[in-house]
Amino acid sequence: MKAIPYAIFAALVVFAISRRLRRRRDQEKAGPPTRRDYLGSLLGHTGLVAQREVRERLRGRFFRVITLVLLAVVAAAIVIPTLHSGSKSSQTLGVVGTASPALRREVDRLARNESLTVHLVTVADLETARLQLSSGRLDLVINGTTSILVNKPISATDISAGAQLARSLAATLGVQQTFRAAGLSATQIAQITQAKALPIRSVQPESNRSTAQSTSLIGVILVFVMLTQYLTWTLMGVMEEKASRVVEVLLAAVKPIDLLGGKLLGIGLVALFQAGLVVAFALILAKAVGSDLLHGTAPLVVVATLIWLVLGYAFYSWVYAAAGSLTERQDQVQSLALPLSVPIIFGYIISLTAAGSGNASVLVKILAFLPPTAPFAVPTWVALGGIAWWELVFSAAISVVSTFGIARVAAAIYRRAVLRAGGRVRLRSLLAG
Amino acid sequence: MPYRDRVRAELELAGLRRSFGSVVALDNLSFSVPSGQVVGFLGPNGAGKTTAMRAIFGLTDLDGGSVRWRGQSIGAEERRRFGYMPEERGLYPSMAVGEQIEYLGRLHGLSRSQAANSVRSWLERLDIGDRAASKVESLSHGNQQRVQLAAALVHDPEVLILDEPLAGLDPSGIDAIGAVLVERARTGCCVLFSSHQLDLVEDLCEAVTIIDHGRLVATGTVDELASSGPRRLAVRVEGDRDGAWAAAIPGARVSQVQGGEVRLVLESTTDSDTVLAAAQSAGRVIEFVFDRRRLSEVFREATAP
Repeated sequence: MKAIPYAIFAALVVFAISRRLRRRRDQEKAGPPTRRDYLGSLLGHTGLVAQREVRERLRGRFFRVITLVLLAVVAAAIVIPTLHSGSKSSQTLGVVGTASPALRREVDRLARNESLTVHLVTVADLETARLQLSSGRLDLVINGTTSILVNKPISATDISAGAQLARSLAATLGVQQTFRAAGLSATQIAQITQAKALPIRSVQPESNRSTAQSTSLIGVILVFVMLTQYLTWTLMGVMEEKASRVVEVLLAAVKPIDLLGGKLLGIGLVALFQAGLVVAFALILAKAVGSDLLHGTAPLVVVATLIWLVLGYAFYSWVYAAAGSLTERQDQVQSLALPLSVPIIFGYIISLTAAGSGNASVLVKILAFLPPTAPFAVPTWVALGGIAWWELVFSAAISVVSTFGIARVAAAIYRRAVLRAGGRVRLRSLLAG
Repeated sequence: MPYRDRVRAELELAGLRRSFGSVVALDNLSFSVPSGQVVGFLGPNGAGKTTAMRAIFGLTDLDGGSVRWRGQSIGAEERRRFGYMPEERGLYPSMAVGEQIEYLGRLHGLSRSQAANSVRSWLERLDIGDRAASKVESLSHGNQQRVQLAAALVHDPEVLILDEPLAGLDPSGIDAIGAVLVERARTGCCVLFSSHQLDLVEDLCEAVTIIDHGRLVATGTVDELASSGPRRLAVRVEGDRDGAWAAAIPGARVSQVQGGEVRLVLESTTDSDTVLAAAQSAGRVIEFVFDRRRLSEVFREATAP
């Protein structure tokens, strides 16, 4: 299978990255720290904070595990359908007795329809044919004009190229046999069997909707998994800095907005890196196995998914950071996270349902303009077609403006709450000063 | 001339006010910290020490007042040249010691190489040079305290604000950190630290500031405060441990009984012979000396209701 070298290559890349990270960590253990701080030089305090966040997150085992899981899921989503649609691109067909030129032409024609190359061999008798089918030397045997032999029964749901060829051979050869029995000449039979079907034309323009739909389904699931993962990091990260009191030391040197912005930027960069890795892996693998998952409008869906993943993270990260600053206990974090995740789950389920049904409902179109649900609804709407460019721009603009607004409120809550030790801080007490 | 007028104040807290609901944490608090001295910052629990220290770093919103450095209001840039060790230690538990201090040094404006050199130097100075690669959570309490101090010192600050830096340390830890504080002050740094270990404060500090209920109640050099106030006697009677003989002497109040030594505060009209007679009635008097106030007595008298 030509996908195997690519899969091995992808696995080697992941292994090399994790090994490099481990080696770097070992080097740091062995000697004084000598890292380069690109972000620090570029963005000052915010960059330094972001850089630490990126480094710590990439070092964590959790990141490596979840990345490998995502890559495995994407690989499965891409490879399995291609495995199902045909295990081999060439097949060896046996003919009991002699294979006439007309039969050879007919077999070649039907095989081409299934994108298969066939090698036709003659078999002396039925018993030999059975043995060669059992041993795997033959994929299918044409038993004169009486039957088609295969090794294992073909299920009704098997849509592989081999199964489709067996069905079409059985149907075509059966019809030809009937024509011969009816007394038609070979020329007449050839004319009938080579007759062109009438074209089917649709009123709506042709689109590669089903492919884009599949891509959007995977995209919506990835956005959900990644948003949930990175927002949990944000929530827990802020809570842990508060609980360990390190935030007091940090805020003595850094403004709250720089500290929080750096933290969110760092986690966001890790998210983008992971998403980029997954998409690059998906593109390479899809190309390698000849998957049509990224054909047609699907690349547009991928781009929309990435953009709204970033916008969704930018919007929610401030909300989760503010929530994390309200508590310093893990059990309280759960009760804070639950109400915040409601719009995420709602947007996810509605979008997933729409992507599955192939119909962009009015609800999906409304949710596409609401920042909390847009990361799911917009890629789905793009996949299902019918979204105008100005609607994309409008949705993105609403998300960006809302993010600025929510960031101001979140930063104010964070600044007031993060140094308040003890139990959970109530918003009302923050407003009271 | 009073202490506060005599020294050149570099760090000034002027009229600080802060309330949390109905609780007044700072009530028009004003005091100053000169450079070149170690200043003890004392007060009972809940007196407002931590709030005042946080106010220096802008970590709490003030209802009124200001913090000035060399006569100017301070902002983020000035605060970056200050070092802070909060009461509740704050470090990333799973981050390596050296890396963590370097990071904090970078946040305080050091270049990468400056921070790396400073980390090495301070870890060696605090006898934890071999723990640079260890995670903070793997260190003992005392060593974590040293790391926290290194984090406050890494950028060679002009002002050092330490909230209970000696709490929970063994004698060698106290000696090591105490020596560093004195050394920093000698190089011209402003050093202000809070502690409830008054004997240690007395040993380390040139001056103290005492607050209670958010207000300043006493400030001055340790010598000034110790030698001020009414006369006091230290009396020891052989075999007596509880000093019951001193309980009913007119014009004399027992301020402390410790290890058989009874410390009495005399009113201006009280004759010391009266005290001597009372002591002799209890047994053989083996110590009878006029003494200065201890810092613990200064503290108790200043914060008495």
